[in-house]
Amino acid sequence: MAVLLISLVALTLIKATPLIYAALGGVISERSGVINIGLEGMMAIGAFAAVVISYYTREPALGILAGIGAGALGGYVLGIAATRFKVDQIVAGTGINLICAGGAAYGLVLIYNQPGASAQVPALGREYWVLVALAFVAAAALHWLLARTPWGLRIRACGENPAALASAGIDPLAMRVYAVTLSGALAGLGGAFLSLGELNLYSDGMTAGRGFIALAAVIFGRWNPLGATFACIAFGLFEALQYVLQGRIAWLPADAMQALPYIAALVALAGITGKVRAPAADGVPY
Amino acid sequence: MTNMRRTLAGPLGAVVLLVVLMSLAMIVAGTSPLDGFSALFYGALGGRSQIGETLVATSALLFPALGIALAFRGGLFNIGAEGQLLIGALFAGAVGAQLHVAGPLGIALLLVLGAIGGGLWGAIAGWMKARFNANEIIATLMLNFVAAYVSLALVSGPLKGPLATGAETAWLDQAYWLPTLLPGTRLSIGILLALAVAVVLWWLFSRTIFGFELRAAGDAPEAARRAGIDIGRITWLSLALSGAISGVGGATIVTGELHRFNTQLSPGYGFTAIAVALVGDLQPLWICLAAFGFGILEAGGLAMQASAQVPKDAIHVIEGLIILVLAARRYVAARAETTAV
Repeated sequence: MAVLLISLVALTLIKATPLIYAALGGVISERSGVINIGLEGMMAIGAFAAVVISYYTREPALGILAGIGAGALGGYVLGIAATRFKVDQIVAGTGINLICAGGAAYGLVLIYNQPGASAQVPALGREYWVLVALAFVAAAALHWLLARTPWGLRIRACGENPAALASAGIDPLAMRVYAVTLSGALAGLGGAFLSLGELNLYSDGMTAGRGFIALAAVIFGRWNPLGATFACIAFGLFEALQYVLQGRIAWLPADAMQALPYIAALVALAGITGKVRAPAADGVPY
Repeated sequence: MTNMRRTLAGPLGAVVLLVVLMSLAMIVAGTSPLDGFSALFYGALGGRSQIGETLVATSALLFPALGIALAFRGGLFNIGAEGQLLIGALFAGAVGAQLHVAGPLGIALLLVLGAIGGGLWGAIAGWMKARFNANEIIATLMLNFVAAYVSLALVSGPLKGPLATGAETAWLDQAYWLPTLLPGTRLSIGILLALAVAVVLWWLFSRTIFGFELRAAGDAPEAARRAGIDIGRITWLSLALSGAISGVGGATIVTGELHRFNTQLSPGYGFTAIAVALVGDLQPLWICLAAFGFGILEAGGLAMQASAQVPKDAIHVIEGLIILVLAARRYVAARAETTAV
């Protein structure tokens, strides 16, 4: 029983980690006023880029960096589309998701000559615990940065009242591009953790809606890094439960159990009616 | 600038962009665009069976694209068409395998069941949005996964056909197959139903009070609310209807082409349909044309991959880029006000 509990806790932390990175990205983006529907795609392209670079360099750490870079690039494209070109944020994010998932699938065939999954590549060994720990450090740091520093104040002003930020001499559009790029970098790191931390390959659809679960965590955590992290741990628990409970509940088939994290996210979305309030200018083009 | 933007935003601009980007994807894959496009077009339109497959894909894309357009018009971003289609197909397949009534009645029943299944799936997100202000983008997407896993669990277990090898139901009795439209191909009369739905939606959008309320709720929700339009009702109703249309689409795949339900029946039609709806400018009749264009890509993409070695996934990248560039001007203003992510 104790062994089971320890493995449940460990698995929960591992499953929560990519969600936390993506959700922190979601928090930054939304606090600056951009809804990042593209988190899912940025995770996917981050996971893919990490595998490709680790494949060519045999150096997983470089792969992780590449994942961060690819996610940041996705974020930058979304940021530019949503600010300079005034593309609807949701539409642009949906486009990014298609581009990233399609791009990774296209790249898989070009590089590995096979659809579906990459070859196995050098992955992080036990060092992946560093990334797990770092997720929590990053959450605490982001909380402090947003609440206590001029940098955080600017991000928040950008999402609450961009006109006020503009009158203080800071370009809200540039600020948003910057915030969404950072958001993409974090999502890319989350994706890279999936492909090189938990596994050692990329396969199509491996992000499996985690970017959207992270968005649900952002809302459930009330746009607060610590709240979002807490929500991610809860979703991670549901993901971990399906492995631990598999075969232990006779009447519930394993396939149905895989739906658990998604149902949890749905319930969380519905359960927070009333007091939630998004940043005032969240989703509003400036 | 405005002129250029207008051209880019039009369906014609989408086609030009598509050709340029496809050429690029082919060159990167080491194929000359000439070979790539000839493989694509031969694979899509080169003969009776190819045209049949293209129209099968057209039909499969048209239903969810029309459903998506309905929700988008109401300012609701339904990205759950994939799940709604799947549940509609599951309802039709599960009941169809056990049915014992007269043929035409049975077919009608299965299509209605498809609508009910998809409609229920859409209504869940609609109810969550109306009742709890739960973000419909995330809710509809989560429901896609729930639909996939629940249907997989059901057809792997209780609903699995006695002779089935994979996760699928038993075959439908031949009496419940939709009649073939183009002899010698898999194309059923389901595509005619899709076109009929398009006409009905055109009428609904432009000629009815519901269409007006829908547009008002989408374009200016605050004004609509003050004018006495029940936004909550519009929300769940439009998501339910949107899901029902996708669900009928799923049912036509079951009764028209596959003749049983299996979990692999959609290669992402519900996601590609988002691009179809946007390229069709949310106008039902334009969407029909867009669905045919994407049907060519869907069917031709496979041929292109097989004979010209260009990964068909390039098509999804291009769909994404088109969405990004088209910028969906219609409901831009509305989204900002209704979204509470």
